[in-house]
Amino acid sequence: MFALQAKDLTVSVRIDSATVPAIRTLSFDLAPGKILGLVGESGAGKSMLGRAIAQLLPPGFSITGGSLSFEGKDLVPMPAAERRALLGRAIAFIPQAPMTALNPVQTIGAQFDEHLTRLDGASAADRHSRAIAMLEAARLPNAADLLRQYPHQLSGGMCQRVLIAMAFASNPRLVIADEPTTALDVTMHPPIIRLIADMQKSHGTAAIFITHDLRLAAQICDDVIVLYAGRAIESGPARAVLANPAHPYTRCLQLANPSMAERRALYVMPEQMPSLRQLAHMAGCHFAPRCPQVTAECSDAAPPDISPAEERSAACFHALTTPAIALGERTPDAASSSGRAVLEVQGLQKRYAAGGGLLSAPRTVTAVKDASFQIAENEFVALVGESGSGKSTIAKLLVGLERPTSGRILLNGEELTPETRQTMQSANAMQMVFQDPYSALNPRRRVASLVTQAMEAGSRHADWDERMARTRELLRDIGMPEDFATRLPGQLSGGQRQRVNIARALCAIPKILIADEIVSGLDVSIQAQLLNLLARLRDELDFAMLIISHDLSVVRHLCSRVLVMFRGEIVEQGPVETVFGNPQHPHTKALIASVPPDDPTAAWPMLQAAN
Amino acid sequence: MAGPLLRALRSPRVSIALGMILGIVFCAIFAGTIAPHDPGDQNLLSILTPPVWADGGDPSFLLGTDSLGRDVLSRLIYGARTAMLVAVFASLGAMIIGTILAHISGYFGGVIDWIIGRAVDIWMSFPPVILSLILMVGLGVGLSKVILAIILVDWTRFCRVLRSEVLIVTRNDYVAAARLLGFTHWQTITREVLPATLPLLITLISLEMAIAVVVEAILSFVGLGVGADQPAWGQMIADARQYVYQSPWNLLLPVIAIFLTVAAFNVLGDGLRRTLDVRLSETGR
Amino acid sequence: MIATVITLIARRLVAAIPILLIVSALLFCVLRALPVDPAAMSLPPNATIEEVEAKRKEMGLDKPLVQQYAIWLKGALHGDFGASIQFRRQAGTLVASTLPATIQLAVAAMAIAGILGLAGGLVLFRLRGTLLEPVADLLSILLLSIPEFLWGLILLFVFGVLLHLLPFTGAVAPGLPIPHVTGFLLLDALLIGRLDIFLSACQHLILPSIALGLAFSPTIMRVLRSSLFDVYHEDYITQARLRGLSEQQVLIGHALKNAALPTLTLAGVQFGILFSGTLLVEVIYSYPGMGNLMVDAVRNADLPLIQTIGLTYCVVVLIINTAVDSLYVVMNPKLRVR
Repeated sequence: MFALQAKDLTVSVRIDSATVPAIRTLSFDLAPGKILGLVGESGAGKSMLGRAIAQLLPPGFSITGGSLSFEGKDLVPMPAAERRALLGRAIAFIPQAPMTALNPVQTIGAQFDEHLTRLDGASAADRHSRAIAMLEAARLPNAADLLRQYPHQLSGGMCQRVLIAMAFASNPRLVIADEPTTALDVTMHPPIIRLIADMQKSHGTAAIFITHDLRLAAQICDDVIVLYAGRAIESGPARAVLANPAHPYTRCLQLANPSMAERRALYVMPEQMPSLRQLAHMAGCHFAPRCPQVTAECSDAAPPDISPAEERSAACFHALTTPAIALGERTPDAASSSGRAVLEVQGLQKRYAAGGGLLSAPRTVTAVKDASFQIAENEFVALVGESGSGKSTIAKLLVGLERPTSGRILLNGEELTPETRQTMQSANAMQMVFQDPYSALNPRRRVASLVTQAMEAGSRHADWDERMARTRELLRDIGMPEDFATRLPGQLSGGQRQRVNIARALCAIPKILIADEIVSGLDVSIQAQLLNLLARLRDELDFAMLIISHDLSVVRHLCSRVLVMFRGEIVEQGPVETVFGNPQHPHTKALIASVPPDDPTAAWPMLQAAN
Repeated sequence: MAGPLLRALRSPRVSIALGMILGIVFCAIFAGTIAPHDPGDQNLLSILTPPVWADGGDPSFLLGTDSLGRDVLSRLIYGARTAMLVAVFASLGAMIIGTILAHISGYFGGVIDWIIGRAVDIWMSFPPVILSLILMVGLGVGLSKVILAIILVDWTRFCRVLRSEVLIVTRNDYVAAARLLGFTHWQTITREVLPATLPLLITLISLEMAIAVVVEAILSFVGLGVGADQPAWGQMIADARQYVYQSPWNLLLPVIAIFLTVAAFNVLGDGLRRTLDVRLSETGR
Repeated sequence: MIATVITLIARRLVAAIPILLIVSALLFCVLRALPVDPAAMSLPPNATIEEVEAKRKEMGLDKPLVQQYAIWLKGALHGDFGASIQFRRQAGTLVASTLPATIQLAVAAMAIAGILGLAGGLVLFRLRGTLLEPVADLLSILLLSIPEFLWGLILLFVFGVLLHLLPFTGAVAPGLPIPHVTGFLLLDALLIGRLDIFLSACQHLILPSIALGLAFSPTIMRVLRSSLFDVYHEDYITQARLRGLSEQQVLIGHALKNAALPTLTLAGVQFGILFSGTLLVEVIYSYPGMGNLMVDAVRNADLPLIQTIGLTYCVVVLIINTAVDSLYVVMNPKLRVR
């Protein structure tokens, strides 16, 4: 018997009195002890399956067809009480954001105990020792102390281990892990993935692993389903599918993701995945508008599932000819760093006083410790590190949002101080592109007003014709149609907002841009569009950039030099090829090792270590 | 801003509340024309007449007369004028002081924020009713004194609620972006921060008007309000309380008038909060 | 945990000193701006100008304002808040004799407001997504629009005048003696073993405390509801449901305690305001508490008494705020353990 079996499962949502399927006719068989990967970009419907199993669908969504059988029993018509009895016992969930998935006002022990009490009527002492045993199995040291602590006293990785321990405490037959590492630091990914895989193996549990990362899916899943706009467009054994995709979308997605091993051109899919609203009015293959292999038949009817090999299927008329997708011609070259330094940082330090009260003296926290580096004209330099390593503080110090405790910042050879920043128009020479495209754009300004905002600053009062002219130039630069000028940020997608964000920074023709995690949180296909845009703009407009990122593949693709930060210190710097090819500092090594290999058939040492 | 405001009007609750407020404002403005009698005219021959629908009602006094034989309807209409004057000017005054201080405090932070924050703390350690009573003792009775007292008490309400909103808005990257693009502090506050706090501001004014109507009624009720020569609902209640057995309507009518006015402002404020998508926790009231 | 609470209370006490100093100074200034002469008022109307002048000197009114304040402060620190002009008794004694009645009323009202607020908030929350939700919501706004003094009048009219169900004047039925042991009437009646006084006092407390409680419960209701809404969007609620907990367990075990935190913050502010709300209710029901004394003092421009009562209200509000903040610390582990 299968642990979970879906037959033509359809989940729909009502939008403007139309019923739109968010998952359409999904079918799969998941055998006990196996891992099924659900991969796709955000909005593809991959989290919907887990929600459907628990029947905790968002308002407006409902299961409108098909069946979903857990160990032979259909969950869809099952009474709520009976289904709830399965949750937490036979079916367990590992959440995406561990820090917020634990109740902040209860101790870990209380929450664990509540769970164990529900499982069986064991005595309090039994439950306590079982909780400790489970936490220790999740490789948490000092489990007894941990039970007395509150979630806010734990790191994200520890919270996730607690939640994994709780999930496996009932010996479940099915575990659903929804992007279990996305909210954690990069170096935490391998140990958490390994823990889930080990627990799953030792308990013989079937698992559904939801992720956006194709490389990760290849490493840990037995089977994989690629979702696009609610439809399973490709499925089959994970390594076979990802090593040799049959659907053009799977192939395009792989080519859009920058490689850790080499600098190659990215494949850029135009536009974006259709939203549920757009889906209501689409006929034929939903990927057709973005597909490089599109033919006339694609827009007429939905493609059938074609089997390119045993146990595999792909929803494409051309499934048998897909691997031949050509990459774009342009291979970005690492910009030469021959020019003179546009930005020079010497011995930069930032200390904060933290805490302190009536009875305790304040502690000093050093956010940035003695940072020194240079960025040459037209050079793209990366600053990598984990959250809390001080990389965002450096960005704020550079643009003057915070004042350094000591050290000097020189722009074009002139020192930047609060006074000179006001007089020397550094605003024009150095600009910042912010991380969160939602918070960075005033929701009340239209695109034209946003991108030319620099023209109304201070005593500058550009007239409207002048601003519209500049708007047209900037929109052309960022590849956005002119009629977007009158739109509000609320009418733009995340990727489009980030373009406007970049255009605004470029308005006054800066010599250097500080970019804080500008592609994190964007889907791979949108990220590829932006990375190509930045590379093109550098060639056309001639500016340098400091790119702050935690994503090493992005850095590898775009930058010529890299600075590695760890606990406030720059522990390693040099050309990207050198640092990534032969890392010296243990932290750099750990960062690089936590990225799964590009080749789906290659072994990932981080995962093997456990076996 | 105009779009959401029009959208607010489409909600039946908001339009009914606004209709009621416009009605009260109409009474307030045209009191001299609408009122059948002079509110101060004493008719000692017919005191405590019940309303027309009750036994012994007199058609020339539609809602009856009070203990001095003054026409209750006319006093209610003139009372609306007092209430509206207080509501409008007191809430505007409190809004102006509170808003300016809130923006300075929340935007600049640091020492200025600390000083303004402590001033608000000290003010808030005084219960508002007590503070306004004491201020009235110091200021003496009168319409302008009531308005001034309410402004002096309630600016903290705007300051406290708006300051936290300014803090949230200022944390947005677009505010930092404006500074990096060369905006002056003044430009940043007026063009980036203020437009974002405006919906909350409008909502708060509506709620403050409700509070001002209540405070004016309370002060007049205690005898420290607009003064005996000016009709006010609170005063009518205080008078009627002594004759509650003889003429209960004299007590109920001004109570109903206060309730309807306050409810209209509250419903309007709540409707605005919803349609303008204001982050106003109930703590802000 | 105890250490954190003690630290908090100690910090609040230290902070209270400058606040009380500034408040009392402000009170002093506002009241001295009055166009009345306390010296003339404290003498019989036929007093001569010389007598008034002598009295002014005696009261220290000829000295500069700062010096007058210093004299007052020195007295206040020794428990001497000056003598009431109209009652010719120590203001401190007058306040001490009326404060217990007001506290009794306020505590009863707080309990009523808290219970109604909690129950109403849960009902409002349970009605979410149903057809009754807009009705209940509108109702709660309408309730919010009835301040304590309107409730006082409405209840007085309905239950006292119309239905003759409950007494609405004074603290006990006329003719019954008022015991003086602790000052708290309900307690004292039990202490001296007079059940009839106790019952009468309870009856007299019902209308005023309900009027006050009703006026403050809608705010608590609405905050509890919106806090519950916020909490239900949190991941830990979803995760608790995914663990198979029932809706009841989710609400009681996980949602309510988290939603209580913002509700408590508001309740602190509200209870401070509620305490001053006793003033109007006392006036309406002729309840012999501090509020009635205050209105008396205000009408007669009895400056020392106004000053003392004003300061008492401030002290009580500060105490309530500190108590609520301590409770908040106890309930919120993020503040308790680092």
